[in-house]
Amino acid sequence: MRRFPGLRRLMRIDRGARDVDRAVNDELQFHFDMAVRDLMNSGLTPDEARREAERRFGDVQRTRERLATIDRARAGKQRRAEWWSAFAQDVRYALRGLRLKPGFAAAVIVTLGLGIGANATMFGIVDRLLFRPPNLLIAPDRAGRIYIPQAYRGKESLNSFLSYRRFLDLKRGTTSFDAMSPYYSRRMAIGVGNATRQMDVSVFDADLWKMFDARPVLGRFFTDAESTPEDPQLVVVLSYAYWQTQYGGRNDVLGESIDIGVGKYTVIGVAPEGFTALSPNAPMGFISTAAHSHDRASTRGRPWYDTYNSQWFEAVARRKATVSQAAADADLTRAHVESYRRQLDEQPSLTPTEQARPRGFLAPLLDARGPTPSKESKVATWLGAVSIIVLLIACANVINLLLARAMRRRREIAVRLALGVSHGRLIMQLLIESTVLAVAGAASGLMIAYWGGAVIRRALLDEQAARQSLGDIRQIAFIGLVAGFVGLLTGLAPVFQARRTDISGTLKAGVREGVVYRSRLRSGLLIMQAALSVLLLVGAGLFVRSLRNVNDVRLGYDADRLLIVATDWRGMQLDTIQKQALLERIRERALTLPNVENATRSLTMPFYSNWTIDLHVPGIDTVAKLGTPSLQVGSPSLLATFGTRLIRGRDITADDRAESPRVAVINESMGKLLWPGQDPIGKTFRVNGDTTPPITIVGVAEDLRRQNLTDPNPFYYLPITQFRFSDDFIAVRTRGPAADAAEAVRRGLQPLMPGVSFVTTVPVSKLFAGNTRSWRLGATMFTVFGLLALVLAAIGLYSVIAYNVTQRMHEMGVRVALGAQARDVIRLIVREGLAVVLPGAALGAIAALAASRWMQPLLFQVSPRDPAVVTTVLATLIVVAVVASWVPATRAARVDPSEALRAD
Amino acid sequence: MPTDLDLLQGTLDLLVLKALQWGPRHGYAVASWIRTTTDERLQIEEGALYTSLHRMEKRGWLEAEWGLSENNRRARYYQLTAAGRKQLGAKATIWTEYASAVFKVLETT
Repeated sequence: MRRFPGLRRLMRIDRGARDVDRAVNDELQFHFDMAVRDLMNSGLTPDEARREAERRFGDVQRTRERLATIDRARAGKQRRAEWWSAFAQDVRYALRGLRLKPGFAAAVIVTLGLGIGANATMFGIVDRLLFRPPNLLIAPDRAGRIYIPQAYRGKESLNSFLSYRRFLDLKRGTTSFDAMSPYYSRRMAIGVGNATRQMDVSVFDADLWKMFDARPVLGRFFTDAESTPEDPQLVVVLSYAYWQTQYGGRNDVLGESIDIGVGKYTVIGVAPEGFTALSPNAPMGFISTAAHSHDRASTRGRPWYDTYNSQWFEAVARRKATVSQAAADADLTRAHVESYRRQLDEQPSLTPTEQARPRGFLAPLLDARGPTPSKESKVATWLGAVSIIVLLIACANVINLLLARAMRRRREIAVRLALGVSHGRLIMQLLIESTVLAVAGAASGLMIAYWGGAVIRRALLDEQAARQSLGDIRQIAFIGLVAGFVGLLTGLAPVFQARRTDISGTLKAGVREGVVYRSRLRSGLLIMQAALSVLLLVGAGLFVRSLRNVNDVRLGYDADRLLIVATDWRGMQLDTIQKQALLERIRERALTLPNVENATRSLTMPFYSNWTIDLHVPGIDTVAKLGTPSLQVGSPSLLATFGTRLIRGRDITADDRAESPRVAVINESMGKLLWPGQDPIGKTFRVNGDTTPPITIVGVAEDLRRQNLTDPNPFYYLPITQFRFSDDFIAVRTRGPAADAAEAVRRGLQPLMPGVSFVTTVPVSKLFAGNTRSWRLGATMFTVFGLLALVLAAIGLYSVIAYNVTQRMHEMGVRVALGAQARDVIRLIVREGLAVVLPGAALGAIAALAASRWMQPLLFQVSPRDPAVVTTVLATLIVVAVVASWVPATRAARVDPSEALRAD
Repeated sequence: MPTDLDLLQGTLDLLVLKALQWGPRHGYAVASWIRTTTDERLQIEEGALYTSLHRMEKRGWLEAEWGLSENNRRARYYQLTAAGRKQLGAKATIWTEYASAVFKVLETT
């Protein structure tokens, strides 16, 4: 029978069913026998009696079947109840066992909690980045972001920013899509006066509503008819969250007027709860592209919706269900080529179509899955994998602990087997024990994810992503899954061991004779732990070095001490002269504030804005062919305020007035670009056409990194007296960190602002933070996870060696009795510890080298095979291994031989 | 007198529970007791009676056990459980109230 377990099970079910049938038959047989006997006693013949009994009974066959059905159901219910009670008993037994060994239980639960918590945290982030489609979106697999790449100077750039005219060309020129809309989010001023707040507003066309399964909870959504570019109605649909917090969910909010940016908008509806359009969090409200753009200045005489030259948004679309991805992309490419031709008709100086090779395609909505994922999302994906490694290390530890426990319980298990507990029941018991541990670990992991995760997200990720709710159903399900997996994985090893238990041998043997198991499984686990720790620590080292390199980059200005003061006129009708005068007054007032060291007008801001205009240099045919130097205009105090060093020549001074000869300071990169190998001081160039007065270069300043950290930008400075703009920023150099002074400066300057206009102050370091975030994220998380892995591996090594030492006390006693010195014993045991750690470390180092190829793009000026990092990590691991085995080794060395030999 | 009373299932359960009030009985004894107690006026199909016994056993109102009958044969004995006893009380109250209400209606001539 043993060969056919399936057959046996089949037979047992059969027997059960037969039992029920037989019992029903017996019961009814008894009934009829009794009935017939009594009826015969009252004088009927046997035949008459049987007929009468059957008449009284009714349909015998049907009753028999009905009774059998009821009984089978009852038997099933009973079996289930018995199973549950056995299960509950096992759980109680497991809990009692754990209560008796609180240290062991705590060690396992904390270990698993760290592993599971790390995973839960990273899952929340990775899920958001890679898997979760926007809320309420219909058919997310068919929705996507439009990309319209084109080549420039032979190199294709993956552009996704569109002008409205291009968007219209694409929308009208394609047939593969049933919805297409711009989508962008802007921080806009909401309300007036003291209550003015800046909040996110989502902007799109009415077409976007079609892509969502959303109905307004109040009023209606805006329509195509009221968002025509020529005559847009200023209407807003409020988000549910804003409606609740600002209006307390009042029903009469419809028709109210809200100041948004420069317009007065009428509330026409409220979006349903959970609708955030394509943004990660609920904005204040939703307005149409046309409404948002109603005050947009025309470009070269053309309104915003009729020019190719102003690209400010990305667009999304949904292809029809009947159209394949490839066909939709081909359709987009066709439309883009057609659109590009039209643009070429108007602007013949553009790159010819054959060289520009315009094309189009639809890419996944989620940034991390699109063609241009941000560094952060790449790092986060890596960290997701890393957190799984941490979990594996934690599991390895728990398996080790459980194995050690199982060995200590060998006698108990043998006794239970001898008493007739079935192997199945025993296995169940062990699995339940490990699952109870895993569930407790998951609970502590959830807490770690809750507290730790919130901190990590707030500190390292976008503020937007930080507010995501934790404990949502997907994350809970994930944790449940992980806990189940962990319970099974960690439970299986002791089960495997238990199955091989030799009852009589174990019972006969004393503790000492119990074979010293130096199981290969346990050594394997230790080697794996060491390898994974090395892998993670190398990653941590590389990211830490990257972050240090990033922080050491000389930007060419002091980002930490710079504050941007931006003005928002909000439709105040001021002419250029009034604005200039007001900006100058703000600058002068800023200089009087206590924590301000210097202040300057500034046309552009690093990591925020950039200006280029046509440049003409005598002797150079087309400057644009060499590169495009950017322009900065400011007060004479500009370089001093920014902290940019002047290398040669002179700075712009107050003597460079409107009527004096035109001067400029350039930076080194621009000098190398336009006058390679020559001294640029004294050279001249012209801006805005080749007939304007020549500008003479009087000084050279150090290079700047304003758009990314790696490439310096060619750059030139003009005095604001000689090159006027209608609007610009004011940069303030603070005495302490700029972030601390931001609010004080804002309060000091706001009283100067007329009417509804206002100022905002933003530390440059905040703009800059986005650029270093990926390294900060990588450095912090890899370090946290790496140290976690190291600690877990050290605990694992310690517990295994300590266990081995206890097992071998007898042997140690013999050694000491035979004259071994303490030092010899320690050396013996530490060498054993190293024997598992060293191969693991080597394995980890090899794995780290193998992974270096994928790491490279995420690092900053560090080789992924940086020898210093690898050596440091290996040395750390060896030191940790020596310490972890030293402690039990000294215990072994102190053994009293007479006691060790006499024991048991 | 109605000869073919269409008994409500609940009424049948009540009768069976009542039959077991004074101790364990097998199915045949339950049937005989009901028949003699009602002076054979309620024509109950004994098949339905057994269905009621088994169903109430499944619900946990009765417990069944094989035992020896008065003539030394193996018979299945049924016994009220605590839950069964409670059911008997509840059903009896409902039925009495129901019957007295109906009776009141009939009395108003």
